[in-house]
Amino acid sequence: MKAIADERDPITPDDADDIRAIAEPPAVVRWLAAGGTWILVLDIIVVIFFTVLSTNHVFWSLQNFQALMLDGTETLLLALGIAMFLGAGGIDISVGSNLVLSAVLGAEVIVHVAGTQDARGGYPHLAWTLILGFVVCVVAGTVYGAINGVIIAYFRVNSLIATLGTAGIGTGIALLITGGNDIGGLPPAIQSDFGLFTVGPVPLPALVALVIALVLWAVLRTTRFGIRTLAIGSLRLAAERAGLRVPRHLFSLAILCGVLAGIAGFVDLAHFGSTTVNGHTNDALAAITAVVIGGTRLEGGKVSIPGAIWGTGLAVLLQGGLVVMGVAPFWQLIAVGIVLIVAVCLDRIRFQRRANA
Amino acid sequence: MADPAETAPSPGIAIAGKHLAKRFGHVRALIDASVTVRPGEVVALFGDNGAGKSTLLKILLGIHRPDAGTLVIDDREVRPHSISEVQGLGVDCVHQDLALAPDLSVVDSMYLGHEVVRKGLAGRLGVVARREMTARADAALRELSIKLPSLAVPVSDLSGGQRQALAVARAVMWSRTSVLMDEPTAALGARQSAIVCELMRTVASRGLGVLVVSHDIPRVLKVADRVTVLWRGRSALEEPAGNLTVPDVVAAMVGYQAEAS
Repeated sequence: MKAIADERDPITPDDADDIRAIAEPPAVVRWLAAGGTWILVLDIIVVIFFTVLSTNHVFWSLQNFQALMLDGTETLLLALGIAMFLGAGGIDISVGSNLVLSAVLGAEVIVHVAGTQDARGGYPHLAWTLILGFVVCVVAGTVYGAINGVIIAYFRVNSLIATLGTAGIGTGIALLITGGNDIGGLPPAIQSDFGLFTVGPVPLPALVALVIALVLWAVLRTTRFGIRTLAIGSLRLAAERAGLRVPRHLFSLAILCGVLAGIAGFVDLAHFGSTTVNGHTNDALAAITAVVIGGTRLEGGKVSIPGAIWGTGLAVLLQGGLVVMGVAPFWQLIAVGIVLIVAVCLDRIRFQRRANA
Repeated sequence: MADPAETAPSPGIAIAGKHLAKRFGHVRALIDASVTVRPGEVVALFGDNGAGKSTLLKILLGIHRPDAGTLVIDDREVRPHSISEVQGLGVDCVHQDLALAPDLSVVDSMYLGHEVVRKGLAGRLGVVARREMTARADAALRELSIKLPSLAVPVSDLSGGQRQALAVARAVMWSRTSVLMDEPTAALGARQSAIVCELMRTVASRGLGVLVVSHDIPRVLKVADRVTVLWRGRSALEEPAGNLTVPDVVAAMVGYQAEAS
């Protein structure tokens, strides 16, 4: 590629006016131009659509929105990790298996440590048991992410291939441990005190995910870590020449994906009161879709955290809406797949138009 | 011209390579190449394709290690093992491909790898002081008379000339002893090239040594203080630029002088 030189290139003082012409557009314009903003608009349209079409407008109820938020929490946690990793040009498609394996290990520990119910239906050391279960989930997720990280960052294996491999391994281990049957019998407090607990109108797990999203948004925009993440994804050579330790950075991002998957694993236990070993095959697809339709670039260098939230919202709304309408939920899978492809196509077109400009 | 390295006065060296040799398998990229850059001067390094310019540059940058010969940076003999070690000695390079991340803003590009963090807890969490960075980047760009639309726009919005200027400004900002430039005018038009050449003088006037590898002989000859010509891995010519014409340089590049002497 050869840069085409403009003979009247404005880098001297005499044509300074010329330069000001391409100054940064105002914040409102940038916000409207961002791909993620349109997904928010689409979310609102979808809500109106299902509200109008559902019998007695049942779609428009606090209960329904709480259920949708809870459904979206796990996807959002996974999506956030993937968004950050995509920023540096990497991807983790093993997050679904990571979630399942972390949840299985957490559940095993909780079931064994909780002991037997006493006469009044209570457990000894209940609080400690649940905290321990949370720690086990997060540690398992972290270790999973670290293994991905070592393979991707230090063995320089393409992240798609590496995590495709570990996804199979993770699911296999989870099935070996459980024999394919879900682990139930967790103390009901995991649901009442966390999974189904609400703060005001918002389910606690969803609140946790939103706080994490806010933190990551700030990290991307204001910290050294965020700048370096985008630099690596934008042009790895530039990051290397600037003296950044690129492998170490990719390793941290893979761990971040793992930590978030581990948290999502605990949320899964708290949501259903048991593991859902076979319920997460499409989680990675849903999370990647959410991130990409939200305006995060697959090739790296550009991340939209709000976009990931709106994108997750769209997937959840479609599913919830179809259920309310009495359509087979399998349609949601098809819809999500279509939305992913359409979003990536639109992104391509935008990218090419910019390249031709 | 028995030995170019000996003719250079040794005190006050920004960066120098002396009697460097390097081979890659059967290829002898450098046999006996020397170049010396003193603070405040622009040295042009000319040579035909395959003469060893890139190899010499990579040795000076710590990317390759020489098989023989010595490296001097800031008056001290050094044996660097990595590019970051050389950067630590105050040497920076403008690569031909620039290597600027297109999605980063101008400010973030200037500071990549050298980000300034805020004071206190926020700083420990890695929160950058973007206002301070912007002010300092703005001042640095002004000092080099580089005008950019806004320091918040992404690099992808800049023209080729603006990117080149940004890359030079970045290198100048983080170098304390010398700046190496690899074909800085190769992708530029006439007017932009003239501006970049002016920039070389500005940089040198700030006390940095500037080494320019280029094929743009007429233009670079005009701004250089001294010229070194490589021919088949050897230094074939080292002269003050004022004594040379373009044909002299071309003759040395194709080995005319080396064969005649």
